[in-house]
Amino acid sequence: MDITAPTIMLTLIWGLAIGCIYILLATGLNIIFGVMKLVNFAHGQLLMISAYLSWTISVSAGLNAYAAILVSMVIVAFIGILVERLTFRRVLGTDKLNEIFVSLGLIYIFENIAMLIWGTNSLQIPSPLSGLNLYFSGVSITYDRVVAVFVVIAALIAFGLLIKKTKIGLAMRATSQIKNTAMLMGINVEKIYMITFALGAALAAVAGGLYGIIFSFNYQVGAMPTIIAFAIIILGGLGSIKGAIVGGLLYGITEQLATLFINGTWGSAVAFALLIVVLIIRPHGIFGEKGE
Amino acid sequence: MEIKQKLTSLLHSRIFQIIIFGLAILVILPVIITDNFFLYVLTLICIFSIYAASWNFLANSGQGSLGHAAFLGLGGFSSALIGTSISNGINGLLGTVIMPIGALSVTIQILVLIVGGLISAGIGFLIGLACVRLKAWYLAMVTFGFSVIASTLSSQFDAITNGINGFAPTTLVPRGFPFYILVLSFTVTSIAVMYLIMKSRTGLAFRAIHGNEEEAKMIGINTAKYKLIAFVISTFFAGIAGGLNVYFLRFVDNSIFAPANSFLPLIMSVIGGLGTVIGPIIGSVFWVSIQQILALPSVADYLHSSLGGFFPGLSNVGPPISLIAIGIIIVVIVIFEPKGLVALLQKVYNYIMLKTKSKAEIKPK
Repeated sequence: MDITAPTIMLTLIWGLAIGCIYILLATGLNIIFGVMKLVNFAHGQLLMISAYLSWTISVSAGLNAYAAILVSMVIVAFIGILVERLTFRRVLGTDKLNEIFVSLGLIYIFENIAMLIWGTNSLQIPSPLSGLNLYFSGVSITYDRVVAVFVVIAALIAFGLLIKKTKIGLAMRATSQIKNTAMLMGINVEKIYMITFALGAALAAVAGGLYGIIFSFNYQVGAMPTIIAFAIIILGGLGSIKGAIVGGLLYGITEQLATLFINGTWGSAVAFALLIVVLIIRPHGIFGEKGE
Repeated sequence: MEIKQKLTSLLHSRIFQIIIFGLAILVILPVIITDNFFLYVLTLICIFSIYAASWNFLANSGQGSLGHAAFLGLGGFSSALIGTSISNGINGLLGTVIMPIGALSVTIQILVLIVGGLISAGIGFLIGLACVRLKAWYLAMVTFGFSVIASTLSSQFDAITNGINGFAPTTLVPRGFPFYILVLSFTVTSIAVMYLIMKSRTGLAFRAIHGNEEEAKMIGINTAKYKLIAFVISTFFAGIAGGLNVYFLRFVDNSIFAPANSFLPLIMSVIGGLGTVIGPIIGSVFWVSIQQILALPSVADYLHSSLGGFFPGLSNVGPPISLIAIGIIIVVIVIFEPKGLVALLQKVYNYIMLKTKSKAEIKPK
């Protein structure tokens, strides 16, 4: 590919659409970390399950793909509640390694259940907007990607309002600051944990639906987005929402530029090299605080 | 005098006798059961025991790696490449087409494996330098990222590594019983060395760091130094396991760096029992047995005929079902029995001992 202004433009727009999905996933991971001090490495598997659910709903019930995402959001939020109650609640506050082990077990469970139910073939959610392109300054981009960017922005705004303006959001912020004080103030911390996890899962579900519309997916698709989302929030600093967005854009641009200028296969390696360098200089991320 | 006393007490201790007895069985059993499949499974268990033990060793110092496949691959690739070029060189000098099998090739094999381990440890030292300041998931991410980078590098420098299509290293020790004995001796030595380090003052420092890094620092332990030592030793043994694995399978390509290989030692250690010597061994026995039993044609056929109807999208339902079971086992073990199968077996043993003891006490009356 020639390196001209339109190709760079196109690369950046592509990166933006992909980056937005990662930001959504990263925000979900981040809110769970911020409130519960828990890292769920199986977060991407919720994305994968949601992509499959949206596919099933839109294919078998004939629902519009974007409406199917809303339905799968509710289902995945309930899966999230189940996961939190049955597994993570029991290891919270023990050795940090235990959380990694539990998530690893969950990855095995989710991926193989998906494989049993939906098989190993790649699927893609049929979109009502498929085949439609938007043209400007000599480059074209599918409508689905543009819609994805707007859906992500809308989801992030709704999420921000929930955190800043509602009582539940206030309780979540209080719990994330000092858990015990929040408990003394009459906040049901366990309920807040449950809501937080469901919220994170719902964000992952939206990301999964959009992912399934833009890309084809199979049962293994969850692993890499989790790692990337995690790399993003580490770049930005765990628990910092602002950091997640900056980290997401930084990651997306690095990966896309590496793909454009060096070679396609270098994309993730360069992004991880960047992550390692950042962590060597700042062990708690760019915006991270030294606390945790 | 003191040494003699120690030696006699060692010879009389129950654990030592059990270990010697177990080793004797491990050597004699393949001679009696001359079944290729049985030998294959035993060798696999031994190799994975080293690998899992090396991960467990690192976890003992409070560092959980999610990228150990990088070191497995580094050891595997470097020992395979070096061994192949050495034997090609010797063949060129001697003018023989096939490498003669004997003391020379065995020596070369052992040296090549150790060199592979050393190269892995050298890279491990550099990665460890980056990791000493990092904790929990930060460390997990950096090690994971390194395994992704290693995989990319092995594909990019394909001219040197043959990473994309893979290659078969020259056979130095023939497969079967001779190779099994080689693997067994490496396994015993590696695990013994790791055990002795864990029992030494260095091991005490590792456990102190695992317990609480700030407190360890306060009582004067140079935590950075000890974490680095743990990293280097662990990556050395992971490299050895990688070399053995490559020479055993007689093939290596960049799929050795896959995340699944990074998760393997972790799963084995968690299932077997974290922080114990025997845990990773039990874990690898458990894992390899489950995988091999499900791969048996009769079992696979049975599963397919009984469950295949429910899942029309799949030709083989065994692997996903076994992996779901493994996932559930991991979650259940972490929640209910964090010390793994070892603790479970210990409890069963204690229960039986208690029963026989109480019977023995009742009898004289």
